[in-house]
Amino acid sequence: MAQKKLEKQLNILDYALSSLWRRRMKSLSLLLVFAAVIFLLASFQLVTQALSDKAKQVLAYTPEITLQKMSVGRQEAIPLAYRERLGGIFGIRRVVPRIWGYYFDEVRLANYTVMGMEVGEMPEGARLDTALASGAMPGPGPEEQGKVVIGQSIKKALALEGRTTFSLFRPDLSLKAFEVSGEFSRDTDILTNDLMVMNLAEARDLFALPAGMVTDLCVYVANPKEIDTIARKISEALPAVRVLTRPQIQKTYQVVFGWRSGFGSICLLAALAAFVILAWDKASGLSPEERREIAILKVLGWETSDILAVRFWESVLVSGLACILGMTAAYIHVVYFAASLFRPVLMGWSVLRPELYLVPRLEAGDILLILAFTVIPYLAATVIPAWRSATVPADSALGG
Amino acid sequence: MLIELSGVSKIYNQGKANEVRALSDIDLEVEQGSMVCLKGPSGSGKSTLLAIIGCIFPPTSGRAAIAGRQLARLPDRFLTLHRRETIGFIFQRFNILPELTVLDNITLPLLPLGVPPRERRQRAQQLLERFAISHRARFPAGQISGGELQRVAIARALINNQPIILADEPTAHLDTALSREFMEIMQQLKAAGKTIVIASHDPLVFEHSAIDRTVTIKDGRIHVP
Ligand SMILES: Nc1ncnc2c1ncn2[C@@H]1O[C@H](COP(=O)(O)OP(=O)(O)O)[C@@H](O)[C@H]1O
Ligand SMILES: [Mg+2]
Repeated sequence: MAQKKLEKQLNILDYALSSLWRRRMKSLSLLLVFAAVIFLLASFQLVTQALSDKAKQVLAYTPEITLQKMSVGRQEAIPLAYRERLGGIFGIRRVVPRIWGYYFDEVRLANYTVMGMEVGEMPEGARLDTALASGAMPGPGPEEQGKVVIGQSIKKALALEGRTTFSLFRPDLSLKAFEVSGEFSRDTDILTNDLMVMNLAEARDLFALPAGMVTDLCVYVANPKEIDTIARKISEALPAVRVLTRPQIQKTYQVVFGWRSGFGSICLLAALAAFVILAWDKASGLSPEERREIAILKVLGWETSDILAVRFWESVLVSGLACILGMTAAYIHVVYFAASLFRPVLMGWSVLRPELYLVPRLEAGDILLILAFTVIPYLAATVIPAWRSATVPADSALGG
Repeated sequence: MLIELSGVSKIYNQGKANEVRALSDIDLEVEQGSMVCLKGPSGSGKSTLLAIIGCIFPPTSGRAAIAGRQLARLPDRFLTLHRRETIGFIFQRFNILPELTVLDNITLPLLPLGVPPRERRQRAQQLLERFAISHRARFPAGQISGGELQRVAIARALINNQPIILADEPTAHLDTALSREFMEIMQQLKAAGKTIVIASHDPLVFEHSAIDRTVTIKDGRIHVP
């Protein structure tokens, strides 16, 4: 009995496949529109997920207070000497200089994030040394000249293939030689993928910063509750300096991710689109030929539920295939084409980071969300009107 | 008796403004292995009577027993289950789905029975050979000749080895030669033990020697001359 039921469903599935094939132009256009909707949704979800992952990781390594020197609204190098002026402020645990910049490699057409710091001076959580797959973080001193730790995508861009040395141009186009002393692990790709860490002197040399200059001063405080108070005191002591607190940076990210809520409206739009597709499909669905087909099937012993099952399988096949296609295309789009279709939307993000290296991650929850907004309404709304069509009376197949 | 109707009436859209009384007080008995013709002008109720015999719907009132089952007592679903075991239908214009292949058309009644593809093909193959149309098995039904189409329609009515064959004006759109061929096949089926009811006002049908009895219907009643 159970065997027969299975055979019957297989037969009905078979029939659904063949009737999709018979209406292949219509099925194909339906499939493509549906896949496009899912592609957009999944791409968006992948990008926002990747960005917020990255933001979280970046925030984890962000000092409680960052000081940058501003001039005519732009950031410029800050003198190390400013450190002394912070001496009197109570509650500061440590001030560590850092050079953080972006290097565009014109030879390999790649962007690297360069970080120059004295690893030893950084507090425990901010050292990045736990992210190493091999080697060691560069130490201070001149014997560390050219030593650099690189992330996986830089390794790829440089095409090292066993070598440990490479060179980059300084701003005056002279070559600076580097030796890889360690690699970041793939596990921290989200953060370290495009990251290059060297000591302060080396970064200063690469960017040709004057002696005694860095890009920012990282301030670590003893009590996180005092961040705002300390920031205010620093502002008073150093009026020309921009004081960024971690909560502020967090807020900036949140603003950027405001369009995450825009994602909600996109979901709704997509759902609407799915309904439009379906309305178009179903409005044109009950043609005289289809009525005739249903009536014939019923006289030949098909139950109403069998005919509904045909419609159900048709919808499952179309939407399932559309999901696989749409999600695969979205993954390829985001990973291999760096979400190039969304570039215009994402430009806002480049205020924070000029180049996007996305490590997408599609979670089961996201897949379910996308399914909930597309496939489920589609299925529900295809089977309900199908009910009406399956109730075509059988005797209409007989001669009048 | 394989088919037993007594006092059968059918009213379409009962109680509504478009109410139609299609059949009144029909008594009809058909013995197993016999061939009966329902004759009568258009609109007299022949198709409605075939629909009741064919377990498509139960009568509005009266008793209808088909192959031992009282239709009035059966809910819709069981009517369908009973129909596919008992009744083979041949329609006016044959009602073949033109985009499906000949093979797929013939095996349509077997799909909801859960008959696996191999067995479906085997059963269809036997019938295709019997009616000399095996070479058309993979053709879309829309592309074969009228004579072949007729044989496909008959094969489909036999695929589940149903004991009763019902045909609704089968020759209405056929030329004389094909009409004759149709009746010859019906004669063979009768000889093989099938019970056949044909609705038709074509003399080629009701004057055929294989017809055991002709029942004339007028305005939904059996007309006794
Ligand atoms: N589904 C239906 N709904 C309403 N009236 C119908 C329906 N089918 C048939 N009728 C009416 O019932 C009567 C008998 O029709 P029918 O059985 O088709 O006659 P025949 O087959 O002899 O031409 C006609 O008046 C017809 O209009
Ligand atoms: Mg009729």
